[in-house]
Amino acid sequence: MASSTSLAALPSQLASPARRAALSRSATARPRHHHHSLLRAPPKGCRLVVTCNAQTAVPTSIAQGTPVRPTSILVVGATGTLGRQVVRRALDEGYDVRCLVRPRPAPADFLRDWGATVVNADLSKPETIPATLVGIHTVIDCATGRPEEPIRTVDWEGKVALIQCAKAMGIQKYVFYSIHNCDKHPEVPLMEIKHCTEKFIQDAGLDYLIIRLCGFMQGLIGQYAVPILEEKSVWGTDAPTRIAYMDTQDVARLTFIAMRNEKASKKLLTFAGPRAWTTQEVITLCERLAGQDANVTTVPVAVLRFTRQLTRFFQWTNDVADRLAFSEVLSSDTIFSVPMNDTYQLLGVDSKDILTLEKYLQDYFTNILKKLKDLKAQSKQTDIFF
Amino acid sequence: MAAAIVAARAPPGGGGAAAVIAYHHCASPSRALPLAAGPSAGGGVVVGRRYHHHGGACCFAAKPTQVAAEVDQGGAAEPGVASANAAVEAKPRKKARSRRGRKGKRSSSSETRTTAVLEEEEEVEVKEKKTEEDGEEGKRKEKAAGLDLDEVMAVSPVGLGRRSRQIFDEVWRKFSRLGQMSSASSTALAEEEQAVLIRGGPMCEFTVPGAQDTTVLVVGATSRIGRIVVRKLMLRGYNVKALVRRNDAEVIDMLPRSVDIVVGDVGDPSTVKSAVSGCSKIIYCATARSTITGDLNRVDNQGVRNVSKAFQDYYNELAQLRAGKSSKSKLLIAKFKSPKSLNGWEVDQGSYFPNTFASRFDEGIDASFDFSEAGQAVFSGFVFTRGGYVEISKRLSLPLGSTLDRYDGLLFSVGGNGRSYVVILETGPLADTSQSKKYFARMTTKVGFCRVRVPFSAFRPVNPQDPPLDPFLVHTLTIRFEPKRQRPGDGSQSATDPRNFELILEYIKALPTGQETDFILVSCSGSGIEPNRREQVLKAKKAGEDALRRSGLGYTIVRPGPLQEEPGGQRALIFDQGNRISQGISCADVADICVKALHDSTARNKSFDVCYEYVAEQGNELYELVAHLPDKANNYLTPALSVLEKNT
Repeated sequence: MASSTSLAALPSQLASPARRAALSRSATARPRHHHHSLLRAPPKGCRLVVTCNAQTAVPTSIAQGTPVRPTSILVVGATGTLGRQVVRRALDEGYDVRCLVRPRPAPADFLRDWGATVVNADLSKPETIPATLVGIHTVIDCATGRPEEPIRTVDWEGKVALIQCAKAMGIQKYVFYSIHNCDKHPEVPLMEIKHCTEKFIQDAGLDYLIIRLCGFMQGLIGQYAVPILEEKSVWGTDAPTRIAYMDTQDVARLTFIAMRNEKASKKLLTFAGPRAWTTQEVITLCERLAGQDANVTTVPVAVLRFTRQLTRFFQWTNDVADRLAFSEVLSSDTIFSVPMNDTYQLLGVDSKDILTLEKYLQDYFTNILKKLKDLKAQSKQTDIFF
Repeated sequence: MAAAIVAARAPPGGGGAAAVIAYHHCASPSRALPLAAGPSAGGGVVVGRRYHHHGGACCFAAKPTQVAAEVDQGGAAEPGVASANAAVEAKPRKKARSRRGRKGKRSSSSETRTTAVLEEEEEVEVKEKKTEEDGEEGKRKEKAAGLDLDEVMAVSPVGLGRRSRQIFDEVWRKFSRLGQMSSASSTALAEEEQAVLIRGGPMCEFTVPGAQDTTVLVVGATSRIGRIVVRKLMLRGYNVKALVRRNDAEVIDMLPRSVDIVVGDVGDPSTVKSAVSGCSKIIYCATARSTITGDLNRVDNQGVRNVSKAFQDYYNELAQLRAGKSSKSKLLIAKFKSPKSLNGWEVDQGSYFPNTFASRFDEGIDASFDFSEAGQAVFSGFVFTRGGYVEISKRLSLPLGSTLDRYDGLLFSVGGNGRSYVVILETGPLADTSQSKKYFARMTTKVGFCRVRVPFSAFRPVNPQDPPLDPFLVHTLTIRFEPKRQRPGDGSQSATDPRNFELILEYIKALPTGQETDFILVSCSGSGIEPNRREQVLKAKKAGEDALRRSGLGYTIVRPGPLQEEPGGQRALIFDQGNRISQGISCADVADICVKALHDSTARNKSFDVCYEYVAEQGNELYELVAHLPDKANNYLTPALSVLEKNT
């Protein structure tokens, strides 16, 4: 890696024990094993202590040197649903994209096939971070921990380390994806962590852009569209929550427009789809487009909430409890949507360019049904073989 | 090892997950038993898969099991070793996959991957397959699989437990998923399904239909524009070949992994030849690294010449392979190889001033079209009469089924003393010559043999009121010599009177048309070059452009303003012809134009300048330019180019 040689010039504090101590001190503020007490405590007490102590560590001398090219970006979480769209978009717009991925036995080959550079680092190991930031102008952070792993390792500890490191190394823009309404639901761990991260970024003194998202259309395919096509049972809730789903490709596109827009600097934007949908509406739409009825199993939200309470009692089901935490949000009759007119105006985007859910699902079903038809035609010959 | 990593990707069952995995892992050998008892090993795998599809509701738990089962099949002799050794695992799995009929070159790259952690790609494949198969013959299959399942369960209580476990898993998965929003938090779960749509899938905004069948050679793939061009092509699913001078680690790092790298130099025709074979398009964005004349000539002039020649040769080879039936084949209109071939050609003479014909200044006209003893068809003579001309013409008889509208122009292979001639095409009903319309174009030859392309679009009606030429209606071809507008005699060449002429005809062919461009050349508009070398740079570039235009390939020449390194798609672009642009342009925008032009029929045979829209200072705006803003799903190129002149 070319960057390794220049690493020596970087603030060594980052990797030094003292620095690590600072990180872990801030980490103690975060409620890793005090989960239960956190949730039962009054809202004020449960807020994380958010301070940025990165400024103290910044050596003033790094301002000089070869200026980084504004087209060099680092995407964190590049293999995710949104991350890969961000990478594609960036590559297509002519950026030099570096992707931070966890070291894995099977590397993210598709990113390299597209022309991105892949660097290995693990957010839960802060000493691996600085090398990846060398020569980077903008960091786009779309990482979220996988559901099966403890939420805090990546989402809080890792992010804090990354942001502090970005500050220390003079990253000129930090783009962070958060969740809409995350400040209103401190009882949901992921949302609380996102909210705290937002505050941490705002305090860090970086030039930032925070984008709050509502929901991705891509998630609906696996949740509803595929089961309906497979004639399997679809599980839905009777929750009245409405979510304004958005296409990840649109999110990526708007992100880059916002990122380059001076007026959006140090702003908190919320991206929402053109219309907010309830679960029932989405299922009905899928049924109509697929041309077959879904086998819907409706689970009352109360059951979810009860299960969550139940699972919280056991240490080994804690993660499950976290995952079910959104049931609180779902039952709260919230609408996950915002009027986008101001945002469109700020970014100079035409609202007609934003994909609607109807169109998205229609495209999906048209393509899938066509594919199935082709396959059926082929299978007539292959049947004999079997 | 397999078990450990599978556990990391465990289903949402939380604590229960580890147990499930452990179970699957143990279960797979036992599952291999009834399979091995089946009629044959090959059949066994199929049955196993059906069984699996039937029960495989939980993606996470299910897939590793499937892999394990296949491994056990492939390495039946030593199942214990197989599960321990990743390398051994990879091999049988690949075999199994090819048996499934998976095609495509991606599978070859999977050799390096270990089995346990499935790359999303494979997940997609598996999932896709599953979706398709399930949907396709769901019922029937379910039934068949159900029978197998019954048998399995009847003989093995393990199978029964396993089945119930899977059902519980699925229920639990769906249940716990309910507690989530479809937001960033559930990405990993939704990943398999939605990836179907994204990577090259039909719903991806980058997808170009037919891109998989198109191989694009990018010359100068490591240049500022070339790098972005390569990425854009990869994103859109093209097969990309990159011609680079050296294959250092540095260069290879710069290019996406699956790019086919060809080492060669455009200045060396032999390396170019191997690079172009198998390609259907070329994007040439190499440029000289210095402004030394030698470098300029090598890359910008001779390089373009070599590549376009090699590409045309390759096309000709293809055409020959298909015995003239290829879409790249030219249509033979006339071939002058025997005295007989002159039949049908009529020599005629006339004057533009019929009234003064045979005046006292008449010094005579003489012309003949003969087959010489040297085996050449020679049209020669002199025209001393003022306003006089001589011509040979023939009524065209095309082979059955071919019409000239499927051709782009005429190609003359001629020799002689380098006069210029007028080619006239006559259209209209054959029966009534009074209604026929004439179209003319000038053809300039060189001393000695040369090939001249006259595109149909260069023909202008003799009568300005007539509509533009429709090649479909052409019935007569005429080559006329007139002493007007001849270049002064080439001093050295025995300084002949410009009224003498000699034209040796070898053949006349029609050039095949194409909807798309074959060769995209990134040239430069000339602004932004250091002034003292500007002349030389432009001269070399111009020579290269000319070489390309003459090559007979469908070409697009892009002349960007000074390049800037910034993201593309931000500012409006101006497309223009004729050295009027003043602004810069980002490399990414130039790359985007190149990629878009590949399949744009309006880009064929055009040269154009392109730069950013000029933004006047506030209050100083004089006029508003019509600009084209690149946007999502907005094909700005077609409207921008359709107003520009062709064959420029």
